[in-house]
Amino acid sequence: MKLTRHLAAPLCALALTAPASATEGERIQITGEIIDTWCYFSGVMGGPDAVVGSAHHTCALWCSAGGIPVGLLGEDGEVYMVLKIEGDDQNASGDTNLNLASHEITADGMLYKRDGLNYLVVEKVVTDHGITNLNHEDYGVVPGFAIPDPKK
Amino acid sequence: MKRIIASALIAASPAAAADFSEGSTAKSWNLYAEAPAFFEAKVVDITCEVTGDCPDNCGDGNRQLGLLRAADGVLVFPNKNAQSGFQGATVDLLPFCGKSVEVDGLLIEDEDIKGASNIYQVQTIREAGTEDWTKANTWSKVWAAKYPEAKGKGPWFRRDPRVNAHLAETGHFGLGLEKDAELIKELFE
Repeated sequence: MKLTRHLAAPLCALALTAPASATEGERIQITGEIIDTWCYFSGVMGGPDAVVGSAHHTCALWCSAGGIPVGLLGEDGEVYMVLKIEGDDQNASGDTNLNLASHEITADGMLYKRDGLNYLVVEKVVTDHGITNLNHEDYGVVPGFAIPDPKK
Repeated sequence: MKRIIASALIAASPAAAADFSEGSTAKSWNLYAEAPAFFEAKVVDITCEVTGDCPDNCGDGNRQLGLLRAADGVLVFPNKNAQSGFQGATVDLLPFCGKSVEVDGLLIEDEDIKGASNIYQVQTIREAGTEDWTKANTWSKVWAAKYPEAKGKGPWFRRDPRVNAHLAETGHFGLGLEKDAELIKELFE
């Protein structure tokens, strides 16, 4: 059966949007902050500018240790869900993710895209810049209970 | 042929248009972009699904697990389990690795935040074709079994040995102990 113009268009759209399992990645180098994605995406602790950086560091540790997925918040504003870092595939509560919580890193690796999300396999942390987003100057500590009151 | 065209059109529709609220009894968390979502899916290792690197048993709890939704093939990312606090969903989903399940929870689709799409908070899970639901709240018990030396009062995240080692080394803001003491003094004076 020949494809008519009316049929061909949706089938082309299908080809573009259908999930492709285990797709080929694209090499990229990107700089950004290792964040906890649940707080960032859900807004449960506040707006996106408040749930990153030094203000949110303790919570980022809690979330990473608790198995919340970590992402790299790129300078382009995109979030790249981290699948591996330098061969460590323990992306649920792993030590490598925990050690980099809130750090700005420059990463070289492979980018995969699937159903609206970016996925990143970091083959090399080119530079670990440490914690550079000093947003505690604007937000204090987020959430407020992250630091127990020393007087109590 | 009509069926093929219909399938193509559904698959080509924006993900944001998907509504899986029918049949859901998920509890609201009063999140800005939450929507109740009940659907059937296969539990998969996300790294395997995306890159083709596939160890046994979905990575044995060390890897994030995903929900490959039956209705449209979309890979949904469960970021959170049903417990309040800071726990992901891997521990709760691992017993269902490779299985078809039904899940109920909250889907996050926030057009104002890049990447906030197909993010999920799973509240209950059951294997497809079975009756009994499992609450996605097992993380703390598994943590307690892993760190018996951390037994004590208060929530787990105040007692977690790995977290506390970081706090002892670089402080709550991650900027070093001297800076930490200075900031804490400012905060609580």
